[in-house]
Amino acid sequence: MAQQLAMVIDAAKCIDCKGCVAACKVANDVPTGQWRNWIKPTVEEVPIPGLLKSKPKFQPGACMHCENPTCVDACPTGATYKDKETGEVVINNALCIGCGNCIPSCPYDARFRNEVTRKADKCNYCPERRAAGLPPACVDTCPTKARVFGDINDPESAAGILYRKNKDRLTRISARTDTKPNMFYVGDPGHGDWGGEAVVPASMVAMKQSAPLIKGIVGLSGLGVLAMLGRQLLVGSDAEHKEDSDA
Amino acid sequence: MPKVHKRHDPSDIFIHWFNAACWFLLLLTGIGLIRNPAIDPFGSGYPEAMRAMVGGGGNLLLIHEFIGLAWLVGFLLYLVVNFKGALFFLSEVFPVSMGRDMTWMMKKIVLMTLGPKALKMVGLDPELPDQGYYNMGQKAFAQASVVGGVVIAVTGVIMFLSDRSFGAEATGMISWSIALHFIAVGLVFAGLLVHIYMAAISPEERPGFKSMFTGVVPDGYAKHHHRLWWEKIKTEGE
Repeated sequence: MAQQLAMVIDAAKCIDCKGCVAACKVANDVPTGQWRNWIKPTVEEVPIPGLLKSKPKFQPGACMHCENPTCVDACPTGATYKDKETGEVVINNALCIGCGNCIPSCPYDARFRNEVTRKADKCNYCPERRAAGLPPACVDTCPTKARVFGDINDPESAAGILYRKNKDRLTRISARTDTKPNMFYVGDPGHGDWGGEAVVPASMVAMKQSAPLIKGIVGLSGLGVLAMLGRQLLVGSDAEHKEDSDA
Repeated sequence: MPKVHKRHDPSDIFIHWFNAACWFLLLLTGIGLIRNPAIDPFGSGYPEAMRAMVGGGGNLLLIHEFIGLAWLVGFLLYLVVNFKGALFFLSEVFPVSMGRDMTWMMKKIVLMTLGPKALKMVGLDPELPDQGYYNMGQKAFAQASVVGGVVIAVTGVIMFLSDRSFGAEATGMISWSIALHFIAVGLVFAGLLVHIYMAAISPEERPGFKSMFTGVVPDGYAKHHHRLWWEKIKTEGE
């Protein structure tokens, strides 16, 4: 089975210290005011002092390298794609021109247009660190080890072990557009309203819908040329055109 | 009476073939840049092959952008050298005489595909109305090329600048540029197929094709295909 890199998060262990958010910014040189990952708090009831029924819950998040990535569907050039080997959703910076189609197409708001590179940006599981044998910066820095990263298809990996052990109570963020995210929460992380809807920009919809029309028009034109060629070969050119010969 | 008439300046001939070469290369590389199952014209095998050939999609994009800029610079040079010629071209290409030109267009399409008998059968005279410097088919393709070319150039420049100077506020404009670039190229390409057939394959316009190298057409061809222009140069001189 191919790899599926993923994060398995024990949300109960998250203490909202924002260590992962800071580590990510430093490791990836993310511009001021922009973020590749986050921690979102969920308070299910308004806590009454002295009568606290439910503890606030925290959802650490980032790009979830989805099974059905709507961002990939929204990219016209394949600059963002799902790597078949690792299961990661990758951005090819050399091919991305920053058209922004993928940004509203992500129901988790995981993507942004990097102010400095002017291209799409998001979590990439820190490939430089992994090449050096280190875990992604957010995972490495997490003091409670709430974030666990690895290949969930590998039963030996830390993420694989946690994934298998908790199979029955793993949850995913339930967005209105279900993209089958590869970010799993052990137990109920609380339901924030951060699973939205994938919105493909009207321009991309126009391009997709006009594609069969354009192909049809080119096809008709090609048929017209074939009809003319057929007539030329079968009937020959009109006799009256012989006078045009400049021989 | 001269046996031939001048039709194209050397700069016209240059820009025509320069444009043809650029369009060919831009089409080849551009189609390789679209990879999305809902859009790519020949399926993903083509973009994969193009990208592998030049060492990745990033390189293909750079090559496409470089040729596109060369195309723009070539056109600007042409305008500097022969602005009068460009104005003459536009003034000949855009005015359309509804009755004469539309009749010509309809009849010509039937003549080229079904033949004169089809027109006689519905009680129409197969003779075509006289045409000027350009016939309506040439005008239609020229109009599509000019309008399409401007759309392609403007959207191309917007996309080129996208990751070089634009910020997040421009993303909507860039996204629309991609869609319009694609649609304009598709429509012009549909016309290009007919243009190439009429000029290079059909024997009817052979002297016109030759004039794209020599710059001149024979008197008989001018009289038969561009009667109004022929009459004009007879009375007014060339």
